[in-house]
Parts: sequence; C-alpha cells; structure tokens
Amino acid sequence: MMIRTFTISLAMCFTACTGADDSEVNFSSDILPLLSNSCFTCHGPDEATRQSNLRLDRPESALMKQESGHVAIVPGHSDQSELFRRIGSSDADIKMPPPDSDRKLNDEQIALIKKWIDAGAEWSGHWAFQPPEKPDVPAAVEAWRTNGPVDNFIHATLKTMKLSPEDRAAKETLIRRVTLDLTGLPATIHEVDQFLADSSEQAWEHVVDRLLGSQKYGENMARIWLDAARYGDTHGLHLDNERSIWPYRDWVIKSFNGNQPFDQFTVEQIAGDLLPNPTLSQRVATGFNRCNVTTSEGGSIDDEYYMRYAVDRVETTSTVWLGLTAGCAACHDHKFDPLTQKEFYQLFSYYFSLTERAMDGNALLPPPAVKVPSSIQMQQKTQYTQQLTAIDATIAKLLAEFKYTDPQPTEILGELSEEQFVWIDDEIPAGAKPEGNSPWQFVEAPDHPVHSGKKSTVRTGAGDAITQHFFTGATDKLKIGENTRLFAYAYLDPENPPQTLQLQFNDGKWDHRASWGADKAFLAGRNDALNRQMGKLPETGKWVRLEVDASAVGLPPGSELNGWAFTQVGGTVHWDTAGIVSQSLSDEQKRSLFAWEQFRAKTKQPALPAEIQKLLDVEKNKRTPEQTVLLTGYYKRHVHPDSRAKLTDPLAQQTTLKKQIGDVDNAIPSTLVMEDRPEPRQAHILERGQYTEKREAVSSAVPEWLAPPVANAPANRLGLAEWLVQEKHPLTSRVTVNRFWQQFFGTGLVKTSEDFGVQGEQPSHPELLDWLAVDFVASGWDVKRFVKQIVMSSTYQQSSRVTPEKLAADSENRLLARGPRFRLDAEVIRDQALALSGLLIDTIGGRSVKPYQPAGLWKPVGFGGSNTSVFVQDKGDKLFRRSMYTFWKRTVPPPSMVTFDAPNRETCQVRRARTNTPLQALVLMNDVQYVEAARKLAERVITEGGSGVNERVFFAFRSVLSRPPNATELQSLKNLFEEYKSIFRGDPESATKFLAAGESPVNDQLDPNELAAWSMVTHLLLNLSETVTKG
Amino acid sequence: MNPVRESALIETRRHFFGRTSAGIGSAALASLVNPKLFAENSADALNSQGGISGLPHFAAKAKRVIYLFMSGAPSQLDMWDYKPKMNDWFDKDLPDSVRNGQRITTMTSGQKRFPIAPSIFKFGQHGSNGTRVSELLPYTAKMIDDLAVIKTVHTEAINHDPAITYIQTGSQLPGRPSTGAWFSYGLGSMNENLPAFIVLHSTVNGGFGGQALYSRLWGSGFLSTRHQGVSLRATGDPVLYLSNPDGMSVSMRRRMLDELGRLNAERFNEVGDPEIQSRIAQYEMAYRMQTSVPDLTDISDESKETLEMYGPEVSKPGTFAANCLLARRMAERGVRFTQVFIRQWDQHGNLPNDIRRQCGIIDQPCYALVQDLKQRGMLDDTLVIWGGEFGRTIYCQGGLTQTNYGRDHHPRCYTKWLAGAGIKGGTDYGKTDDFSYNITENPVHIHDLNATILQQLGVDHERLTYRHQGRDFRLTDVHGKVVTDILS
Repeated sequence: MMIRTFTISLAMCFTACTGADDSEVNFSSDILPLLSNSCFTCHGPDEATRQSNLRLDRPESALMKQESGHVAIVPGHSDQSELFRRIGSSDADIKMPPPDSDRKLNDEQIALIKKWIDAGAEWSGHWAFQPPEKPDVPAAVEAWRTNGPVDNFIHATLKTMKLSPEDRAAKETLIRRVTLDLTGLPATIHEVDQFLADSSEQAWEHVVDRLLGSQKYGENMARIWLDAARYGDTHGLHLDNERSIWPYRDWVIKSFNGNQPFDQFTVEQIAGDLLPNPTLSQRVATGFNRCNVTTSEGGSIDDEYYMRYAVDRVETTSTVWLGLTAGCAACHDHKFDPLTQKEFYQLFSYYFSLTERAMDGNALLPPPAVKVPSSIQMQQKTQYTQQLTAIDATIAKLLAEFKYTDPQPTEILGELSEEQFVWIDDEIPAGAKPEGNSPWQFVEAPDHPVHSGKKSTVRTGAGDAITQHFFTGATDKLKIGENTRLFAYAYLDPENPPQTLQLQFNDGKWDHRASWGADKAFLAGRNDALNRQMGKLPETGKWVRLEVDASAVGLPPGSELNGWAFTQVGGTVHWDTAGIVSQSLSDEQKRSLFAWEQFRAKTKQPALPAEIQKLLDVEKNKRTPEQTVLLTGYYKRHVHPDSRAKLTDPLAQQTTLKKQIGDVDNAIPSTLVMEDRPEPRQAHILERGQYTEKREAVSSAVPEWLAPPVANAPANRLGLAEWLVQEKHPLTSRVTVNRFWQQFFGTGLVKTSEDFGVQGEQPSHPELLDWLAVDFVASGWDVKRFVKQIVMSSTYQQSSRVTPEKLAADSENRLLARGPRFRLDAEVIRDQALALSGLLIDTIGGRSVKPYQPAGLWKPVGFGGSNTSVFVQDKGDKLFRRSMYTFWKRTVPPPSMVTFDAPNRETCQVRRARTNTPLQALVLMNDVQYVEAARKLAERVITEGGSGVNERVFFAFRSVLSRPPNATELQSLKNLFEEYKSIFRGDPESATKFLAAGESPVNDQLDPNELAAWSMVTHLLLNLSETVTKG
Repeated sequence: MNPVRESALIETRRHFFGRTSAGIGSAALASLVNPKLFAENSADALNSQGGISGLPHFAAKAKRVIYLFMSGAPSQLDMWDYKPKMNDWFDKDLPDSVRNGQRITTMTSGQKRFPIAPSIFKFGQHGSNGTRVSELLPYTAKMIDDLAVIKTVHTEAINHDPAITYIQTGSQLPGRPSTGAWFSYGLGSMNENLPAFIVLHSTVNGGFGGQALYSRLWGSGFLSTRHQGVSLRATGDPVLYLSNPDGMSVSMRRRMLDELGRLNAERFNEVGDPEIQSRIAQYEMAYRMQTSVPDLTDISDESKETLEMYGPEVSKPGTFAANCLLARRMAERGVRFTQVFIRQWDQHGNLPNDIRRQCGIIDQPCYALVQDLKQRGMLDDTLVIWGGEFGRTIYCQGGLTQTNYGRDHHPRCYTKWLAGAGIKGGTDYGKTDDFSYNITENPVHIHDLNATILQQLGVDHERLTYRHQGRDFRLTDVHGKVVTDILS
C-alpha cells in the first residue's frame, strides 16, 4: 500500500546484449517460455480453444504442413517458417500474436526465435518434466573459498557473469543468521560468546549441529510447512467456528525434529491411513488434507462442496509436491502445461471418496477424527483400566461368595421409615441452567452462614420487590414418590428479614408453590397448589427448615422436577441444602429382596439405573433366570445391608476409577483425519468445473507423462503418494529442495516455487537444482542433511553487504554474489522479541492460544452464532508462546501476523510476500506485545547487563543484534538513555504508564524512571531495520 | 505411454542433458536477474502513483470509488423491482414454468410449496422518468435522477459466503484479490498519508450481527499484502496500533524516530541495502498517519447543515451515517477505494419489519453522501455503488400472512445502483419477469458490473492482470462486459 518500495534495478543487459550471440539458444529455457506466453493460449495444449488446429507445444504439429499449406516452423529456415513470418510482420491482419490480444513479442524475443529456427529448431520438452540427472560438479574457482558442490555451482555462474563472491561474514552476523534460520529465534549472548571463543576448524559446524539438534528446529521448519498445509484453527468459511486439528500441527513439528525422511513425511500425510496397520501417528499425519476450508452454511448444496473440497486437495497436492498449477485443468485442459482436464479429474478421484460430510456441522471435530492421547494420558488410562479390572474381579468374587435367598419371599411390606435426598447443595444439578433477577451468588463461610457443604447462596431484595434465583433443565430429574416432602433451608437476616419466602417447583411448568410469611409473592391471594400458604415466617438469625408435602403443591407420585426457584420478598436470605424426604426401608426390611421390590414400586427417588428399573417393571414370576441374576446382583451391591457393607469400598473405588478413566478420555484431544469410503464415489469430468455438469466417468490415476505409476501400487491415495516419491519423479525432489533453498536464500532457484510448469520462471542455476534434487533423493530424502549442506556452504556464509554495482547487476540477489539478506517472517519477528525479553514460554505443541490482539476485531465481522465471534484473550503463559501457536481464525487472522505478510491460511501458499509498509512500523511501535517486550528486555539490561551505562548499552545491543555497537551507535543510545531518563525524572507518571504495558509484572525492585528510560532504548532497538532483518 | 510422447521425451532428455555443461542460456539468466527485459506486465514496473505502468489505460471518469455494501442481500422485491401483478398471486404457488428446475438453496428446497409473497410496500414514481421506488426509500427516491438503477444484476452463487466472495473477488473460492486491492495494485495511491483502500464496518442499532464478513473480502489474495484494505474502526485505534503507548508523548515518539532513522541510515551506509531506506520512509509515513488518521475521523469541522443532512446517527461513530460521512472525507483526502459494509439484510423471516429498520438506517445517509459529493463538485469523479451479493425470492420462506413473510436467497436477478463518475443518472436498466425471478432484458452479470467499475477508473478489465501460478489473473476472470448503456 501507499508508498511503494522497490529496488531500483539498473540491470544492465550485460549478457542479453553481449552474451546472446556466442551462446546457443536453449529451447526449454529460452524459446518455450516465449511460445507459452505468447502463443499457447490459442496454439497450446487446450484443445477447446486451439485455433487453426495448430499447436506449438508439440513438434509434430509445429513442423507439419497445415491445411493452409504453410508450415509453422521449418528447421534451419526462418525465412520459410510461417511462424516467423507472422511474428515479424507489421501487417495487423497477419501479425501474431494478434495486435489486439494483449500479448506481444519484442524485437529481442523475435530475434531469439529466429536464431533458434535457423540453428535447426531443436525441440525438447519442458525441462522440469524430465527426471533430473546428476550433473558434473564444476571445478572450483581458484582463490574462492568453496565448501562443497553448492559453492562450485554458484561460483561457476558468478564467474560467467563476471561477478565475485563476498568474504565470509563476521562471526556475530553468522551465528545470528543461522540461529534465526534454523530455529526462528535469536542467538543468546552466551551462544555468541561461545562461538567467538571457539577458534577450531569445526566451530561453525558445532553451531550448526547444535541448532539442528534443538527442538526449536522442528518448530521452525513446521511453521513454514503450515503455510503449505493451509493449517488453521477454524473452518474458514461462513461461521468459521473452531476446529481441532492442532495435533496434526504437532505431528509436523515432531516429524521435522525426528528428521523423518521427506518421502515418508509425504506418504504419511497423503495416505498414512492407508498404510498397512497404520499407527495413530500416521493417521494424525493425514490431517494435512483435512486442513482445507469447509462450510456448513445453511442452504448449501452437498454435491457442490464435495467437489470443492476435492479440487482444493488436488490443487494443494499439486502445488506442494509437483509445483504445478493443476487448478487450471479443473475447467479445461491446461493452457500451458500438458495436464488434461481428464487427468485433473483422475487426480480429483483420489480425494473424492472420503467419509467426511460436505457440511462440517460447524463442529469442533467434523468426522472422521481420532483421539490423540499423550503418552502420559495413555499411561494413566492403562493404569486406571488395570485397577478397574482388578476391582471388578474383587466385586464379582464378593458377590459370588455372598449366597442369598430371600427370607420373606411373599410377605407384604409393612411400615416404612424415612430417608432424605439432597438435590441442591453447593451447586445446581447437572445440566440445569441458572437464572434469576441476578445470578446465583454462591458464598462461603466464615463470612456467610452455610448450612451444609461449603457454600450457600445469598440474595437481597429491596422493599416489596419479589426477587428470585432459579434453575430449569436439570438432566437428572428429581422423582416424586409416595408421601414425599420437599424441603429447603433458609437463614433470614435478623437485620433485614424478608416479608415472604416462597419455593417454586417446575415439573415442566411453574405451577407449584409454597409460601411462608406475608402473602406478597407470586400468585398472592390464594391457598392451593399454585401457592400453598404455610403460615408465619420462620425465626431469623438461624438456619430453618422449610418443608412442604409434594401432594400439597400438586405433585403426585411419579412427577419429575427439573427446576426449583428460591423466591423472597425484600430482605436478605441465605439459602442452602434442598431436596426431598421420601420413605425408606428399615435394615431388616432391606434383607428381603421382595420387600425392596415392593418399596421400589412406591418410591421413585433416587432413580434406579434404567436397566434395573426395567427388570423391576417385569412381574416377579415372569423374569428370566438371567434377569433375576442381574436384579439380585444389583440388590446385593446396593441394598442388602450385609453384602452392601462388604461391597461399599470396592464399589466406591470402581466409581472413582470409572470417573478417572472418563476424565482422562475427556481430556484427550482429537484431530481430523482422512478416511476413505468402503465403496468409492464415482468421479466424473466436470464441464467447466461445474459440479452439475458431469461428463465422462473417471477413476483414480496419475498423469503418466510425468512419471509412470509405481508397479503394484494401489489405486488409492497411497498409490498417489508412492508415485510422488518415486526416485525418478521429475518434480517432487526438485520442488522440495527448491522450497528449502528459498527458505534460506529468500528466493528459490526457481523463483516461482509454486509453479515449475512452462509458465513458471526458469531456474537461475538449473544444474545446481538438479544436482541438489538427485543428491537429496540419494541421501534418503534426508532433510537435516540437506539443510546442513546449505548452511555449511560458503555461499550461505558470505557477507550480505551490497555495493551499488552488485545491486545494479543483480538487485534480487539471484546469483548470490553476496549472502542472503531479507526481512524476517512475521512469526520470527514476534518470537524474537519474546525471546529477547525473556518472556518466551517454550512449551512445544498443544491447543492454540490467544495472545494480545486489539479489542473488537472479530465482532464487527463474525456471524452472531459463531463460537469465534468474540475474542477472549488468554492470560499468563499463553500470552508468550511462540507465534506458530497463535489461534488462527482464518476469516480474521491475527493482525500483527498478517501485517507482516503471513497468509490467511485459506489456501495453500508456498511463498510469502515480503513487504515493507507503515502498518508494520505501527505494529512495532505500538503493539502492546512489543512495548511489553521492550520493558522486560530493559529489566534484563539492568539486572544482567552490568552496572555502567556503556556496559548496559553493549548488553542490550548485543542481545538484540549479536554484534557490538560501533562508536556512533553507542554514543547515540547513551545520549538517548540520558535524555529519556531526565524526561521521566521530570514526569514519573509517564514512566509508570509506559511501564504498565502488558500483563507481565513490572520488576518493582528497579527505579521506574530508569527502567522506563532503558525501555525506550530497547524499544528503539526492537524497531531497528537490522533487528527485523536477517542479514 | 503415448509413443509420440515417449519419443519426444527421449529426444528431450538427450538435448537437455547434452547441454548441461553449457548451462542455462545466458540470455535467459540475464532475464531472471533483470525481469524487466522480458516481462511485459512485471509488477516491478510502477507508475508515478505507485500503480503499474501504463495505467490508467484510458482517461478515467472516476478518481475514486465508494462502495456501500449491503451484506446479507437486500430484497429487490421490496425496495426496487416493482411487481404489481403479484398482488393477485398472494399465497399461490410459484409456477414451475418460472422456476424452470433451477436450483434453490436447501433452506427452502424441502418446502412443500413455494407460495408467492407480494411486497406489502407501496411504490411511488419518482424523477424525470417516473422510476418506481418503494416507500421504504423516501430519501433515495428524491435523488433517483442521480442514479443508474440496474435491476438485472445476477450471479451463480446461492449462499452468502461464496456469493460475497464472488462479487468482491471474482471467484467463489477464497484466494483471489478483492476489488479494492486490484485498484491499489493497478492505480496506486493518491496520497501519502492514508491507505489507498479503506474498509468501514457499520453497527446496526449499536451492535454488530448478521451474516459474517471475511477479511478476504478486502484482502489482497495473491497480490502483495500491501494492497489489502485497511479497516478503519470506530472504537479503539481507528487504524490498528495507531496510538503511541501510554506514557509516550508525541515529542518522545518524534525523538525516538529521529534516532531510529539516524541509526538505520548509519546501517545503510554500512551494508548498502535499499530496503533500509525504504523502512526509514515507512516509519515516517507511520508517523504522519498518527496525525492524518485522527484528522480524518475528527468531524468537528463539519458544518451543522452537513451533519443534519446525514441524519441524527451521524454523530455516533460506527453507524452507517457516520461511515458515509467518513467516506466523503476520505474521498477528499485521496483514498482510492472506500468500502462501507452494513450487515443484517439476510431476511429469511419477518422481512417487512427488518427491512423497515434497515432502510431507515441507510436511506438518508445514502442520499446525503451523494448530495454532499455533488455539492462539493466531487460526484463527477467519484463512483458510488450500492447493493448486496444477491437478491431474494418472490416465494415465501416460512409462514406467509398478509403482513408478514420471509424470502430466501435469489441469485437470478437483483438490484444495485451506481451514481457519479460518468454514470448516466436517471437510468432504470434491465427488466425481469413478473415474479422478479428471471431476467427478460439486459442481464448484467456481476463480472459485467465489475468490468464497468474498472472501466470508470480508466482500467480495461481485460488488461489489468497479475501473473500468478503461471496464469494471468483478472478481477473478472475470463468474463465481463462493460455495461455501456448506463454510461453517459
């Protein structure tokens, strides 16, 4: 936006003008791009738009006599070639490309084509579609330091281009560069000092090996991969609710840290579920293809979304592994690359047969999903399960030992005693929704009277106002039996007694009330089930029991309560312990199963397990022997006083263990995975990509012109994955090493790392690319080895200083006559600040977190019913996790990340933009995260940085930039510090305010004015261009 | 394998690898190092305003655009598309011959009947052509001679997310740049103190709600992120992170930036990276924004007459009225593209009530904005656009009574209006059938509409392209025809 920044490229055409004449023309790199760009739209692979039946992507057509009698290209004779006549013509009727087509060939390009035709028009396919073969490594250039083949290739090109490499960068620069590159975090002063002190030959390698062994390496590699995987924490479309797929993100980290070979990394993500006896980890890996955006918008049509999801997966697979823009072929044959529409839908077919539903249900875990227990959770679960098995056996043994015959199998039940069941104490029953004029206010002793348990509730009403708190919707309903009474306890404040107390009961309706005191509560003026008058108010200043017969408030046996209201007119009342009193058996009676059966027929509370109640509902003499055994078992466990006494403890243990197992289960996270339907869904070619326009039926198959299918590979995703990682695949290895190269040098050897097709850019160093690709595969797709190879090169270790001459010759540093230098990624900028401040919490993995974000970003755009329409910031440690764990809401991604070019993760992206904007300046200047980080770094400066101002400036500077300040820098920061110190001394209130940024505590041992002044210095340091740049 | 292909492959391999020692053609290498040698539309070739060179393609009628976006899809049947015959059709079924088997959303596809719900609102005739406008829009009706009303806008998408993504980015799927981002990319900025593309969100009755919006709607897709729209907020910092931290005065900030600039310059002298110079400039612009944005949002210099014109809500930040006034202030300050969103038009039920509320909110401010621009002589070079992502059905969703009904999504025809910047005022364009179901005359696809918007800014929609993944992408994909009939 706004002021645009671009590198002024004076770019003298040193080779185009001079070199072109003495070099051969290369069809693949020089001619094919021109034909593709200017001609293929009408004379290319797409049959539907091809004009005059001429295609210039194939020699057999280009060299053939056309219906017109002309031949487009006559090798050796540009003068006889119709193509040359047309492109060179100035006659608008003849001229190609047509003057109104917006496509043009300039004179140089036309000359190049002429030269190619005259030289024999040698034809070759597009370079990237031929399997790479390992080229010879060029000889080292004398006097230039080389650390291996990478340097030899780079130097050979530099030599040709009459450029020379830079010297090795200073050690401080180097360790900062490689630490940021390999871990995404800055080097500590201690690490810098260690490296400076290590004068051995292997000093650099020691650093590299240490970093490659760090767990932070995997995090950093994963962070980059997550852009390609379009990982996010929400569904991405419409409601954009939360989705749980972070275990996949953690899988990626683990995979890089374990240096999983890239071919396995590929196979597991595309088809881990289809491997023989897949492990949980392999299934989690398939989350890669569940990261796509999904919807559940009302009114959407399933078929349309099944199609869209499959298309997204093909496009993503294609971009990430093939470097091909397959998406074009969803609507028509590819315009530039030989991928046909049919081939596209054959790839589509691999992803068209999942068990997933088109509508994600806005659910956290739209199936298929798997539970992903941690090792601790697994251990716990195994342990509890073993204990449970043992207890179960004990119980079974005790039951078997207790032989039972009913002493009174026919006697009719006599007098009953009473039993109390408490429904409400310290909390409301499960499933119930608390409501009221004001919320339920639970209070505790000793400040408040409490009747039982730990809490009571309190309410104060004014004057004649009727106020209440209540709930409805309890899932375990309170069952009313014969002669049941309802009770609750109240404590009336002697200083402020109420006028009336009223209990109300809900059995679906609020039609059951009992009142004490003045008749001023609900339904005043009557004395019936709707409002039974119970007499005077009870005594104040002590706990009193309110009790009423269920029948008096119109609740016959069999009624079920789901709600209860505590109502008062004015006054202050504490309420506690409420429930029912029902009748119960004497111990003697309990010794008879038949007596218990008769009792249960009358009494409903507490409710029995449904399966036991069912048995009781069967007449005694109609029960099967199995039913009798079951019933007797329950009876022995829970009723008969003798057996029950023996079983109480084991049963309690059993309950506890079951709950513990349940708790572990509930805490286990789940993640989305891939799973195929048993019967594949038939894929079709879809005309113009419209799901309603089905054409020819197709089945899963790979585009064989790239590489043959792997022998005996299954016709499913596993076959696709194996095809991608076969040794001779022309694209997978090249595309992969190119992406890693881009990570370190800022630009890939092929700049368009997402497009290796005919329209993509040519590689700057094709032989190096091929050499790296072949070498990578031969190493067993060893990623750490590859990374090490890069950072060990002298090319990587060059100084990134640039002269105007080099800048003019190669503004983008494609030739690497200097070291890499570019702005850090969004996440690294924030993580660096957190690390420098000492705030960083380096826990790996887990559910995503919500650090600081300006208020009111989600609400103005979020759907009201979305569970991500309101942002609730986390607290404590979660504010300081690495940025890769920041909750990624895809329709409103984290602003400080997006400002620094992080993608919104709606679609696969393998190359980030690197802009330089005023909004970035504002983030670093004013985002609380950075202001707080500056303050915490300043605390470190004072506490760890020595005593003098000089010393402290050194510490601060070296912490941030690894290098010491020069004299100017030192002086400048010292002056700044002194100036700010005097400003804050004169205005300590400002210092306090400035230090208050963020939620981490301020070190109150330090002089606030001095701390604020140092914070200004560190704030400046965090804003330096050098700080946000890898140099 | 195809024998021709196989032989070609063998050929190629021989040629290709036979040449590896000679390496990549040095001409090609030079073109990589200096992309301008070969690239016709390289993004690096910038014009004076920071847009791409060669733009505008022709003289622009509009310097800027204000897009009043009615998210959720307002009912054309109750506001614009007058269908008196429908009064005789109350509660009768939509004839199959009209629907003609076309797909409808799964919210109503399960309904047993599709009963016609005629609009309960009266339509008066206004302006020199006697254009029909619903009683819901008394203010808009007054300025009908300034507007070109298109009743035949249509789209393929039938649900909000894909439809709004489609009209804003030219594709139903996420990933493409939004209209404003295309303008920023193609034409650059007209000022040095404010973003080229600003987005405003409007409250309804003090709150938000309704169909969701997505940052992709003002995102930059595959264009550089510098082109994405910047949200200007009514609460908190108007632009994110604009205010200095508590305790840091403007003079302290200035002092810090001076020193920062000096140290950055020192580093530039050392290492020669021009990105450092650029960053120095960005910090200076950030500093300027700290003044220019508050100046933009402070409306205390507006006259009483102006404020009254926008209505009483204008003084409440975040309302549609306040946002319309801000849009005018941005237009004055050279913001290229301003998009004002207001939600809650998705009226599946209780439509009469809800649409009264919505129209009550937008009618006067829309009128005020156009008149305000006109009075200041800015309507001539400001394009104002009003409308949503699709229309609504003639048949009722849910219960139908004489006074209440709801309408489902209808993509086959709906109404939008344009004003200013070379748009022929008083135009009533396009005809639909008696059911406002199908277009009978002059269809305008949303790609056509976008092509027309680009045209007014001096951009040939077929020539504003960006090479991404080997393909030249356009806002209008491979479609779009300028609607010349509505241009003066």
